[in-house]
Amino acid sequence: MTRTIIVTGAGGVGKTTLSAGIAVEAARLGLRTLVLTIDPAKRLADALGVAELGDEPKPVEGEPHLHAAMLDVAASWEAIIHRYAEPDVGDRLLVNPYFRAIADRFPAAQSYAAGERMADSIESKLYDVVVVDTPPSGGGLDFYLAPARTGALISGKLLKWLTGSHLPGRSVLYRMTAKPMLKFADVVLGGPMLSDVADFVLDLRTMYDGLSVRTKTIDRYLRAADTIIATTADPTPINETRRFFDELGDIRIAPRAVLFNRTLPTEWIHASGEPHAEIDDPGLMAATTENLVAWASEAQRQLDAADELSARYGVPVYELPWTVPPPATLDDLADLVAPASISDWLAE
Amino acid sequence: MLSTDLVLVSGKGGTGKSAVASAIAIERARRGQTVLAIDLGNGLGLGAHLRARHLTYKPVEVRAGLYAMTMERTAALDEYFKKQLHMPQGAPTKPIAGALSVLVDAAPGVREIISIGKPVHELWQGTWDAVIVDTPSLGQFRSYLRAPMTISELAPTGAVGRQASALAEVLADAGTTRVVLVTNPAELPVIETREMLEHIREEQLCPAPSVVMNRMLTPASFDDSDLNSLPTGPLRAAGVHQLSMERSQAEWATNVDADATLPFLRGVLTPGEVAVQLADAIGTIV
Repeated sequence: MTRTIIVTGAGGVGKTTLSAGIAVEAARLGLRTLVLTIDPAKRLADALGVAELGDEPKPVEGEPHLHAAMLDVAASWEAIIHRYAEPDVGDRLLVNPYFRAIADRFPAAQSYAAGERMADSIESKLYDVVVVDTPPSGGGLDFYLAPARTGALISGKLLKWLTGSHLPGRSVLYRMTAKPMLKFADVVLGGPMLSDVADFVLDLRTMYDGLSVRTKTIDRYLRAADTIIATTADPTPINETRRFFDELGDIRIAPRAVLFNRTLPTEWIHASGEPHAEIDDPGLMAATTENLVAWASEAQRQLDAADELSARYGVPVYELPWTVPPPATLDDLADLVAPASISDWLAE
Repeated sequence: MLSTDLVLVSGKGGTGKSAVASAIAIERARRGQTVLAIDLGNGLGLGAHLRARHLTYKPVEVRAGLYAMTMERTAALDEYFKKQLHMPQGAPTKPIAGALSVLVDAAPGVREIISIGKPVHELWQGTWDAVIVDTPSLGQFRSYLRAPMTISELAPTGAVGRQASALAEVLADAGTTRVVLVTNPAELPVIETREMLEHIREEQLCPAPSVVMNRMLTPASFDDSDLNSLPTGPLRAAGVHQLSMERSQAEWATNVDADATLPFLRGVLTPGEVAVQLADAIGTIV
């Protein structure tokens, strides 16, 4: 069975880097591993060799058991359409302005596409471990709710309201334009928009049966996966992490661990209050002490935040080192996540 | 013509845009302006930095002259129909709002114009000297800017389309709208900021942005050879960390032209303290 690890968290905390690090660790245990990345920084993309390849998983040079792919949202949506829609409907949808806009902007779209890719990768049976980096959409829960939201969109709730009936055919819809509600909607939205939306929803509706089965499958995989929350000590990621724990609890998903990225050595905290070895140059002594005190206060803030998360939610919080510059090789990536002892829990 | 300022603050996630938006709002209020700060995201960031635990759709005064609010979808939709689209009395706005909440997920641009429509609507009310907007992310911000155009193309005849054209005009008016992009001296924030500047130049949907380089370390007075003379230990290790950070920051900072630089605040600071300290540093930049 494929083990799935989902790495989520606020923007800017290093989700993509940590996903890659976990994948390298897994691959080094001899497990066939795939990492699905989203928008990696250039150095990271170079390290993984995914810079120019895009959507299809490709072996990572120098790491025999590791494959990497970069999620291309547009390509994923096209694949979804071709899978679930009749050919003529699919062609019509792909040029429909509403579909294009949804593919670009529907907040759940990128998340849903990532979920589809995750499911495909699991079902391919090519991998023992699939590591999923999640899109930086508004709040990490998007990734978990995307299947249900996509299902709701396609179920034709809008159409039902517009026409007052369940899933009418195209001709029925147009005969009903005399209805007061549709007339009113026409004034608000303008005629062309209304009929474009109707066309779009009717076409989308034909995909419903296939897609609704799929959204349930994706949901099952999401629940079976290990969820890892990445954070840093900055206020925004910490707030997001708290909110995320609460909201995941509401949908009965328990995160497995927190990876606390960019932490400083805790011994700096104690060292900053102690006398130091004699340094002849008093100016240098003052400047370096002041520097240590400043970074030690940062280390203190990190420690407090990590302790609070661990106490409040009862999950392991792994503190990962602040490496400057960021990891640029596979070894660097493995070193970064080493404190999280990935191998221990992959062995379970 | 509007005499009020609309300040749109955006930036890559994690760069500190809520802190900078709060700092701008605090600084404006200190100068005696009546300011409204709006969080278009989940309200957490702005709320924490302005020391307001729960922001709501109704603005609350968080310090003298400074009011803050967050978007609430249902309330925003209702207001959008009643006030912004000028629906007649007795119009069935409730079912329309219900349907629209579904449409908002489906039709391109509708969610965005309802969000970005709110600050502009507040501007039109004439209550505020400045409206400061904390937008969720660069991608979202770009959707906001493009939404009025998208809507005008898709729905040229309806009330939604007319409201959208009026919005587009305000957003593009350099006499009213200022755009602030917050970035950090690091790879992804700098690259994404450059891409955003390029998009804005091409699309001309808003005035040229000011770039704020946030979290820039103050250079230390020691160098590598000084550190080499120190014994191994925290004093030296913290020094090495400082100098590596400075080098890394310098490399990326030169890759984008910043109009202002804000300091990296180390230590045990609450979001509220961060915003106040940044407000001290931000001066008259924006």
